[in-house]
Amino acid sequence: MAIEEIPLAEEQAAEAPPGLRRERGLWRDAFRQTFRKRSAVIGAAILGLLLFIAVFAPLLAPYGEREVLISSEGLRPRTEPCIHLSVNWIPDVPVLSTVESFLESNGFSCPSDQPQHLMGLDGNGRDEFSRVLFGARVSLLAGVGAVSFAVLIGAFIGLISGFMGGRVDNGLMRVMDVMLAFPALLLAIAVVTALGPGLFNGVLAVSLVTIPVYARVTRSRTLSVREQDFVAADRALGVSNARILSHRVLPNSLTPLVVQATLGIATVVLELAALSFVGLTGDPDRAEWGRMLALERNQLFTSPHLVFYPGLMIMLNVLAFNLIGDGLRDALDPRLNK
Amino acid sequence: MRQRRFRWVSALVVLGIVAAACGDDDDDGAADGGDEAEEPADDGDFEALAFDESAQCGTEAYAGNLAAIEAVDELTVRFTLCNPDVALPSKVAFSALGIFSEEQLEEAASGSPVDAPIGTGPYQLEAWERGSQIVLTANEDYWGDAPSIPTVVFRWSEESAQRLVELQAGDVDGIDNVGTEDFATVEGDSNLQLIEREPLNVFYLGFNVDKPPFDNETLRQAIGYAIDKDRIVENFYPEGSIAADQFLPPGIPQYQDGAESFTYDPDRARELLAEAGYPDGVDLGVLSYRATVRGYLPQPPQVASDIRDQLAQVGITVALDEQEEGAFIDNANTGALSFYMLGWGADFPDATNFWDFHFGSGASPQFGTGFEDMHEVLAEAGSTVDEGERGDLYAQANELLMQHAQAIPIAYGGSAVAFDAAVEGAHSSPLSNERFAVMSEEGADQLVWMQNGEPSGLYCADETDGEALRVCEQINESLLGYEVGGTEVEPALAEEWESNEDLTEWTFTLREGVTFHDGGTFDANDVVASYRTQWDAADPRHVGREGLFTYFEALFFGFLNPPPAPAG
Amino acid sequence: MLRFIARRLVSSIPVLFGILLVTFVIARIIPGDPCQAALQERATPEACADFNQRHGLDKPIVSQFGDYVGDVARGDLGDSVQERQSVSQLLVDRLPVTIQLSAAALLIAVVVGVPLGVLAGSRQNSKTDVTTIVGANLGVSIPVFVLGLILQYVFALQLDETPLALPASGQLTAGTIPEPFYEAWGIGQNSFFEFVANFDLLNAVLIWRWDIFVDALQHLILPAVALATIPMAVITRMTRSSLLDVLGLDYVRTARAKGLRERVVVARHALRNSLLPVVTVIGLSLGTLIGGAILTESIFNLTGVGKTLFDAISGRDYFVVQGFTLVVAVGFVLINLITDIIYTFLDPKVRVS
Repeated sequence: MAIEEIPLAEEQAAEAPPGLRRERGLWRDAFRQTFRKRSAVIGAAILGLLLFIAVFAPLLAPYGEREVLISSEGLRPRTEPCIHLSVNWIPDVPVLSTVESFLESNGFSCPSDQPQHLMGLDGNGRDEFSRVLFGARVSLLAGVGAVSFAVLIGAFIGLISGFMGGRVDNGLMRVMDVMLAFPALLLAIAVVTALGPGLFNGVLAVSLVTIPVYARVTRSRTLSVREQDFVAADRALGVSNARILSHRVLPNSLTPLVVQATLGIATVVLELAALSFVGLTGDPDRAEWGRMLALERNQLFTSPHLVFYPGLMIMLNVLAFNLIGDGLRDALDPRLNK
Repeated sequence: MRQRRFRWVSALVVLGIVAAACGDDDDDGAADGGDEAEEPADDGDFEALAFDESAQCGTEAYAGNLAAIEAVDELTVRFTLCNPDVALPSKVAFSALGIFSEEQLEEAASGSPVDAPIGTGPYQLEAWERGSQIVLTANEDYWGDAPSIPTVVFRWSEESAQRLVELQAGDVDGIDNVGTEDFATVEGDSNLQLIEREPLNVFYLGFNVDKPPFDNETLRQAIGYAIDKDRIVENFYPEGSIAADQFLPPGIPQYQDGAESFTYDPDRARELLAEAGYPDGVDLGVLSYRATVRGYLPQPPQVASDIRDQLAQVGITVALDEQEEGAFIDNANTGALSFYMLGWGADFPDATNFWDFHFGSGASPQFGTGFEDMHEVLAEAGSTVDEGERGDLYAQANELLMQHAQAIPIAYGGSAVAFDAAVEGAHSSPLSNERFAVMSEEGADQLVWMQNGEPSGLYCADETDGEALRVCEQINESLLGYEVGGTEVEPALAEEWESNEDLTEWTFTLREGVTFHDGGTFDANDVVASYRTQWDAADPRHVGREGLFTYFEALFFGFLNPPPAPAG
Repeated sequence: MLRFIARRLVSSIPVLFGILLVTFVIARIIPGDPCQAALQERATPEACADFNQRHGLDKPIVSQFGDYVGDVARGDLGDSVQERQSVSQLLVDRLPVTIQLSAAALLIAVVVGVPLGVLAGSRQNSKTDVTTIVGANLGVSIPVFVLGLILQYVFALQLDETPLALPASGQLTAGTIPEPFYEAWGIGQNSFFEFVANFDLLNAVLIWRWDIFVDALQHLILPAVALATIPMAVITRMTRSSLLDVLGLDYVRTARAKGLRERVVVARHALRNSLLPVVTVIGLSLGTLIGGAILTESIFNLTGVGKTLFDAISGRDYFVVQGFTLVVAVGFVLINLITDIIYTFLDPKVRVS
């Protein structure tokens, strides 16, 4: 992972005031630190793979996201995986043939005159493998989207609250306290039920309920930055509040926000999956892992492949963000650097 | 699973009609054998319940068909009706008309029968641990064959996989509604037995014909030809399900053999589409549905997806709109849905329950403004007694439904129960009233049954949910009953019954020596009190869980002293 | 100290009022109404007017809110619309189920999570560290409902009739009706006793029935393990980073400089202090536990708070939604208050400032 990929650091470098110079170094350092950690590298690798799948899904997928094969191929829904193993291009290595015979004896293989479906067919007779690939798009977008929205709103509330102090602070924080008093999933279920089921509403709901977390993080950071000398200097020079907020406080609050957001994506993905499980994310045709899994949960024993693969993908997705988040936190917290 | 239990009443009424019709031919005009009512019983202490009030038939204030019910003597009850009703025996066999002890009903205002019913049935309520289980124990003094298994436990889970796992793990002995994909699993397991249940429901695609573009009749017909019903039934329904060829399922007596219906014909669909003004295909907006599993629709999202795909093949585009259950029903009832998937399970086995409820003049705006010709045919069919004439009228209704196509019947959904192979006498009932008293298992001291949901209450006069009715049926009995695993009416608390010639006066002779679970003796007053409680809306005991007594109204068309209709 | 507690209590008051308002609004903004949900296909306008009148749902919304606040102040949470029971009675029946489940899950999470965190933290960036962190994260990454299904498959079906077999359901074996301890003791009945008796494990101990205790325990294990994965990863992670935090402090360096072995440094000097933040995390985990319980309870067929709440939301059972969310939210606020106080008590630094 090259540091150049982090635009944040580069942009800031252009006209960074003295107060931020240290910050830039911190970021550069942080990323180096982060990816020196093996667990974070594993996370980054998984995320990279998912990103690759998401971007190139149409090229990688042998069938369309919604292509029903019942009539065209004469197959029943929930047909088991069919993997062509006796392919010529596989070199005749002993290890491979052992694997091959193991798979064959366990019913994963099938003759080459039958169409190949690596993960079988889903409950509607669509290629599960293709849908799993397309699902990467929805899951990544939904996770990142939900958290970005929450961070935007939360950071705004936190900045205002921390910077203004007094009654505004008190009022806003009490509202946040009220929201935090409810289990997030419960609140999300209530919100989606009220808005009507659907993926967008689901994303909105899990996003809304996570706002207080970011508001609190930003606020506490804002409170400490507000008291710093360079802010006092700005004030003395007559710099506007807006400018102080956007050029001093915000950049300095980014560290904990980024960490929190990365870990937040993992939470959001799981919550979305839970909403899907209780049937609140609408269109069953959309290839979305949580929904795919939830639709077939009663088939765990009859068609395990339809539960296993989407479940695995959700797991990988959550794992990736959790590992990266952990790594970032370790790296960005100076006290943890030995 | 509210729907499924409606079958209870269903087949019964049918058979009752048949039985009564046969009886009619008898010289004495009695529906069933039986001598004149016995002379008042020996016990001189019997004081028949008397009511000052009686119903004013045919007046504006009273829409019901029950004119009077009285205890002639200790073991004789007489029903007087406003209009002839050949189906009365099958109606009084329905479990919503179960008999309670008069003493317990006196306490009804405090709600006791709702939580702890006392009946005469083969099992009595031992404990109802809310949210967890209902435990029934055998009634030692049962008048019929004593139940073989001493304890029956009811449990519930909405998930079919959960039910099957518990059955396979041996934690339960029988389960309701085996999952569509699990039929083969159960059949392939030598420790289990699968018993199929005949469908008494219909799944259909509905339109609100007031909402463009669905105001276009030709377009609706095009959709009718675009749907491959067989593909849906084959791929998404369990064994025993049938592709629909009319609105009535085959179990309903007015079902028309060989009715003409929409058959899969994509070319014809494209032609009609072009004729409707959409030669290049059309975007119809959304197809609405709810993900709630019902007997008529075992896999809602999958079926919705498949219909979307089938329509796409003839150039019709729709997006799927999965609505949350509560909102969906609200929208359907108010006519807010343009194009949707819904279904119906029989309340009672008569065509009116299907046809009039949906397409009669009094139907909800679910399908938009109704069609005059359809209203007329249905009104006439509803008041015709002759079965042949009635059949012709419903054949006309079929044709009209095909022409107007405000609903396209797709499938009749079958289901099945599964039992541990060691359970003898295991059966399924088309009315979903499996009777555990006739089941036995060697060495077993309890039988655990797992169904879909927990009953809301156990005073079944005021319940419509099959999950509640099945429990009630073990505890409370009605005047008559249904044969095990079938729909034929047989004696229960009444041993004999007869009617006058024009079928407006029915006399039931009660079984002697029957006792309630609390030791009280069963007599005619219990019957009168049980009916009166349901019938008279002004009776202080006329309180149940909701106080709606839905089935009584469906069976007898109205209450005595109905409350004034709420303003607005 | 007292002043701190008093201040926290005072600042909770607006939050509690906000919670009241939110619970009320949550219940009402949901489209559809209780009548439609209850009567389904048969909900006619007449039947619904009748229904709404009976449940006081025909009053103006503001006066409904007034009634609600007044009733809550009197300790009356109303009656369920769908079930013929008071909300308080439902709470007495179902709160223990969830508390018992959550407590067992939390126990598992702490017992497994803290040692894992210590192990990982004391060997930062080692293989053990990486394995532990990836493993803990793997746990939290599996959706609870998938894990629940898999556990059922393995322990109830595959291992059936082996010593490792565990039941697929979270409820007691069908037909078991434990005698409530108050009846066994003959001390009369009240809501509190009922509440206590609904903790199956506790009640089994109180009536001294080993067989029921074992049965209850067996049925508790799978759901508790499934639910435990959520807080476990958080606790592991928190223990680890908090330990690393403390290990970087001067006094630990001093200890090291004295030539103490690393194990002694960690066990004697660092561990106690590093566990302080973990207390807070445990408190906070309870919120996610209740959320997770919604899914865990439905997978394991337990009727606890989560399942009841979810059913109430789909059934538009306003009073149950209100009452249960209220109790959960207030409970959450109280728990946070208590953990704050404990934290203050344990950590002198916070007390001084």
